[in-house]
Amino acid sequence: MSKHLRHPLGRAVLVLLGAYVLIEFGIAYLPPLFGIPSGPVPDTVLFQYLGTVVVGILIWVSDNETRWSEFKAPLHKVMVEPEKKRARLALAVIIPALVGLMTFNQVKPSMAAPATLRSIHPAPPGQIDFKGETMELAGLENPLRATGSMEEHYESGREIYVKNCMACHGDGLAGRGHYALGFNPGPASFQDVGTIAQLTESYVFWRVAKGGPGLPNEGAPWNSAMPSWEDFLTEEEIWSVIIFMYEQAGHEPRTWEEEGEH
Amino acid sequence: MDTIRIMLLVLTVMTIPLRLDALQEDDLGKVTYDRWCSECHGVDGSGNGSAAGFMLPRPRNFTLAQYQIRTTASGDLPTDQNMLDAINNGAPGTAMPAWDDLLSEPEKQALVQYLKTFSRFFPDDEVPQSLDFGGSTRTSEEVVAEGRRQYEAIECWKCHGDQGRGDGESSPTLVDDTGFPAAAADLTENWFFNGGDDVEDIYRAIRTGLDGTPMPNFSDVLDAGVITEEELWAVAHYVRSLSPEEVPGISEVVQARLIEDLDVPRSVADEIWNETEGVYIPLVGQIIVQPRWFNPRVDGVWVKAFHNGEDISVMVRWSDPNNSPDQAWSDWKSQVVTTMEPKEGGDTGIGASPDQLVVQFPMQMPEGMERPYFLKGDSRRPVYLWEWKSDRQTALEGEARGVGTESFQAEGQDLSVEGVHKDGQWQVVFTRPLLTEDENDLDFITGEAIPMSFFAWDGDNGESGNQGALSSWYFLMLEEATPTAVYVAPPLAMLLAGALGLLMVRNAQKREKENI
Repeated sequence: MSKHLRHPLGRAVLVLLGAYVLIEFGIAYLPPLFGIPSGPVPDTVLFQYLGTVVVGILIWVSDNETRWSEFKAPLHKVMVEPEKKRARLALAVIIPALVGLMTFNQVKPSMAAPATLRSIHPAPPGQIDFKGETMELAGLENPLRATGSMEEHYESGREIYVKNCMACHGDGLAGRGHYALGFNPGPASFQDVGTIAQLTESYVFWRVAKGGPGLPNEGAPWNSAMPSWEDFLTEEEIWSVIIFMYEQAGHEPRTWEEEGEH
Repeated sequence: MDTIRIMLLVLTVMTIPLRLDALQEDDLGKVTYDRWCSECHGVDGSGNGSAAGFMLPRPRNFTLAQYQIRTTASGDLPTDQNMLDAINNGAPGTAMPAWDDLLSEPEKQALVQYLKTFSRFFPDDEVPQSLDFGGSTRTSEEVVAEGRRQYEAIECWKCHGDQGRGDGESSPTLVDDTGFPAAAADLTENWFFNGGDDVEDIYRAIRTGLDGTPMPNFSDVLDAGVITEEELWAVAHYVRSLSPEEVPGISEVVQARLIEDLDVPRSVADEIWNETEGVYIPLVGQIIVQPRWFNPRVDGVWVKAFHNGEDISVMVRWSDPNNSPDQAWSDWKSQVVTTMEPKEGGDTGIGASPDQLVVQFPMQMPEGMERPYFLKGDSRRPVYLWEWKSDRQTALEGEARGVGTESFQAEGQDLSVEGVHKDGQWQVVFTRPLLTEDENDLDFITGEAIPMSFFAWDGDNGESGNQGALSSWYFLMLEEATPTAVYVAPPLAMLLAGALGLLMVRNAQKREKENI
């Protein structure tokens, strides 16, 4: 067995299989183990990656004369040696059958919904227009953290949250409100480490103020049910609901100092 | 003296951790309640938190010690386990979520104890006793038929309606013990049963009633010998049979099946509709633009479609207890309108309004994945609409470039419709040619994923204008006749692969011979 694995052809097959497993299952299923959202890799991307891997393998085997002849020796044997006739016949059936199957999958009419690729946290604009005033987002801090009592900000944020946000984002802030099932994409879970925990408060302010219609195209604004809260809430109300969200979910906002380190 | 002092000091010190523990446990219940529960149920447990007005049914009032979901007799207190289950599972169909993974076990235990402190009815020494329900009987066609007979005999239909859609003759008059309108459950949607969806849950609700609501308990009837335990179980099996076997999954695509050489079904009565299951699309309140609506009656629609290459028929059906406007429901309507917050709509909810349905498509098929904004489009990407209203027998085609900009075509109506209300359900069939002359109509092309979404209003639930139910985008796909490529391309590819292989082998063998 180990003899086969040391053989260049064996290694090539091993690398190809490994790459397949990694792309097909690794990318989709590994990040969720660490609480990071992920999705299955589309077939086209899979083929593209595997193609790159094949090219890499070919470069490696052809890089050295002996390795190249070693690599092609078994292939050559199957093609010419009389005692390998059975293997030859089997391959003559299997390979065209596989090609036929792949072609069929390509041309058959599909009734599946088209894949929608959506950036969950698209890059924010440098500045926004909030009720007629220009707000610079870069470096913007939550002004309420510097004034008044945090307890009061939390309480008023809480009331705003339960009256406006709870139906979708849920009492538990886990994105599981009783309206959550009505929308695709579903509401964000603030408990998740992949949402507000890795965003600055100014980013959250932008998302709350401008809602779905304020998303850039890569964020798929047409299907987001997030309202533009600037139509409902004052600036202070939005900042206070942001304080509530972080406090209730037990997360710290990302700060601008951290941001600068990147 | 000193020794005694020291001993006292030691004793005091020893009791401190104990008292701290006790304090923490009491506190944990209160802290957890105040943090997660009080905005709906109120700091004082009276069910009057600041969010209470945004939901119907209203949050439970703990001071009355009335609990709907219990294994104990009607009028009795719930067991600790009953309360814990309610916290863990939430109440489907209401705003109460499942807290199972959001709170820790000690927090939930402490909550149960804390909830009891809101009411003087919870005694210290008595432990509420669960009723003995026996085990579930097996279901069968006979059992379900027996259940139907008993459903009629014990008059479930008076509230829940003949086919169970919450449209019985008493349903418009139902209020709970605190005076709020209480809708009779739609028994065809078990995923919205607040006490759970399986037959054991249904049986428990029948035996113990839902205290505080008009749902009575049937243990009394059982004890009086009017009905047997087996017959009550049969009722539970019958009720369970009214909902699909499995909770409908969310499917993004509604397929319009191709029926070649046949006319598309233009009537709700057409038998061909029975050949397909349909896709369930959940609807929720419009809470995106003012005036918002937090109490939509239509919580989902079932959609089916057929096309024959010329025309397409789309059938939408949904539960709605009555054909609005209906005098019998006018009290219900004014109660709902006065109950629901926020009052952003002024008095738009007052006055007769019909039931309505709008099916929305993009006006032009979008390139790539871009679509119009799902809420009636925007200035750059308009939407194309089908509008049906219960008070007229025609459907209109229209367009919109944002909420409030809807306009409907006066001429060139290519759309026909039939709407029928029966047994608490609307069935509406739209029919249109796939292609029309009008450039403001979307052309339906086979094989394309056509974005489609829904808006629905129950007029007698106080819904009109922006105040109704909606969905985000789904897709309508018209089945294609199998393209010729499917028959040609794979054999061709196989032939090519075979020939290439043969050529390679021949070449290799030839060279091998030459080398020798």
